[in-house]
Amino acid sequence: MRRWLRRYAALIRAAWLVDLQYRAAIAIWMLWNVTEPAIALGIWWSIAGEGAVQGFDRAEFARYFFGVALVNQLALAWDAWYIDRWIREGEMNFRLVRPIKPVHEAVADNIAYKLRTASVVLLVWILAALVWPPARLPFAPGRWALFALAALLAAAIRFLNGYATGLLAFWTTRATALMELQFGVALFLSGRLAPLALLPPAVARAAHLLWFPYVLAFPVEVLTGAVTTPAAYLRGFAGQAVWLLVWWAAYRAVWTHGIRRYGAVGG
Amino acid sequence: MAAAIVAERLSKIYRVKVRDPGLRGALAALLHPRYREVRAVQDVSFEVARGEIVAFLGPNGAGKTTTLKMLTGLLYPSAGSARVAGFRPWDGGPEFKRRIALVLGNKQQLLWDLPPEETFQLNQAIYGVPPADYRARRDELVRLLDLADVMDKPVRQLSLGERMKCELAAALLHRPEILFLDEPTLGLDVTAQEAIRGFLCAYRERHGATILLTSHYMADVTALASRVLIINRGRLLYDGALQALVARMAHTKRLELVLGDGVTREQLAAFGTVREFRFPNAVLEVPREEATAASARLLAAIPIVDLSIQDPAIEDVIRRAFAEGP
Repeated sequence: MRRWLRRYAALIRAAWLVDLQYRAAIAIWMLWNVTEPAIALGIWWSIAGEGAVQGFDRAEFARYFFGVALVNQLALAWDAWYIDRWIREGEMNFRLVRPIKPVHEAVADNIAYKLRTASVVLLVWILAALVWPPARLPFAPGRWALFALAALLAAAIRFLNGYATGLLAFWTTRATALMELQFGVALFLSGRLAPLALLPPAVARAAHLLWFPYVLAFPVEVLTGAVTTPAAYLRGFAGQAVWLLVWWAAYRAVWTHGIRRYGAVGG
Repeated sequence: MAAAIVAERLSKIYRVKVRDPGLRGALAALLHPRYREVRAVQDVSFEVARGEIVAFLGPNGAGKTTTLKMLTGLLYPSAGSARVAGFRPWDGGPEFKRRIALVLGNKQQLLWDLPPEETFQLNQAIYGVPPADYRARRDELVRLLDLADVMDKPVRQLSLGERMKCELAAALLHRPEILFLDEPTLGLDVTAQEAIRGFLCAYRERHGATILLTSHYMADVTALASRVLIINRGRLLYDGALQALVARMAHTKRLELVLGDGVTREQLAAFGTVREFRFPNAVLEVPREEATAASARLLAAIPIVDLSIQDPAIEDVIRRAFAEGP
């Protein structure tokens, strides 16, 4: 256990040191990640006007999209692009001769990046809430704890989803295209552009058959207080647990079979 | 003592998609994909004893790197088996990986934007090297590889030679028993090549490491390896001492001459094949068994200032071995 803590500490430290070299790029990625919910908020803000859209007033939209910005930052998954490059350009080689699986480097990278960027988003939210009442959340430690769990599960699902998709590069050169397709679908089905309650009922029902709502809408709704009943909590966490297992199994299967096909491209 | 590396009838067959050029070819490949089998390595068997340095020689695409990748567990073989440090490489797990190191001349593990020390520290944690051992090994490697001046520079600002030395240091901090080096001197200038060779010899002396390396540079082979494996088109053609190969393949000897006044090319041609003639220097090639007699006749017949009998250049011997088989 201590050995693993030391390994993770070293991997996270290295990731932070590398990130420091790319300060501007990271600031731009972060900006993009908060721009999208800011635009969505702007649109819904003007549609809601002084009234409400299916029960959502301006303050509720504001809390929802601040939540989207935070959860999106916490659960962001870019790994498919890295893994695809590692496999196609032979950068997997030295990672495979180390005594730890490459997935640990990716997990540590995620922890490093998210600790830093999510804390910035959180800070911005706190500053905004100080001057702008609609962005404020009630003080509810129990709910925040449940939110932390939901956000952690969301991050784990998206990570495994992205990592397993990236590993498809063992078979195809189009792994990243598959990831982009999922991004496009997630725009609607995860609640990035609108709360799921505003989608046509059939679309919302279809969304809940997939993992998308569990990686964004559910944690956001836990945070904003939209999830109220124990049954709703149970449904949400059960959905997260199921999709975590599904993507874990997918990762295991793709890794075990893919590694046997690896061509170890390049020197 | 058990061999460090044992390869038994290792084979690797790749299935490669083939397509004709142009848009029509791309469409056809989409609708009816065609595949071709490429036999990268076929039935390769050899053993390497502990502490031995063996060089893998072969032209591009011969199967050297593929063999190395199978022995380090990166690739699963299509057939055959191997044992490296007592493990089956492709399912040896962390215990196996702690005993080996792989250095690829054209792919690096160093963190590009940070000084090399950061990669060293990362590897210390990954391999679980105790701090006191880490410091001692790092200091030894820094001294042997002359890295003191580059330790605080970002890797991206280092020269190719400095980067390769740092790659070696990063790969050796966990003190592997067996080193696999793929083109470790690729693209380096002569001084850097010599520094790497000197280091590898010194490292082997100190720690008894087994080294299997591939190289295009004959100087690497003559300086480091007592034994060579020659591979071409996936098949092992020769396994043995370099000198024995030279003796077997070289059917001729070179008489290197410094000529006295007035000797012409035509006069020399009567004694053998004139390979070079730039008065007063000349090189004459004669059948191996006639070298001594031909020298005596030359010295008696024409004015010669100096004469030496040499084996042909190793590069020529190897080139012939690739072409004809040893």
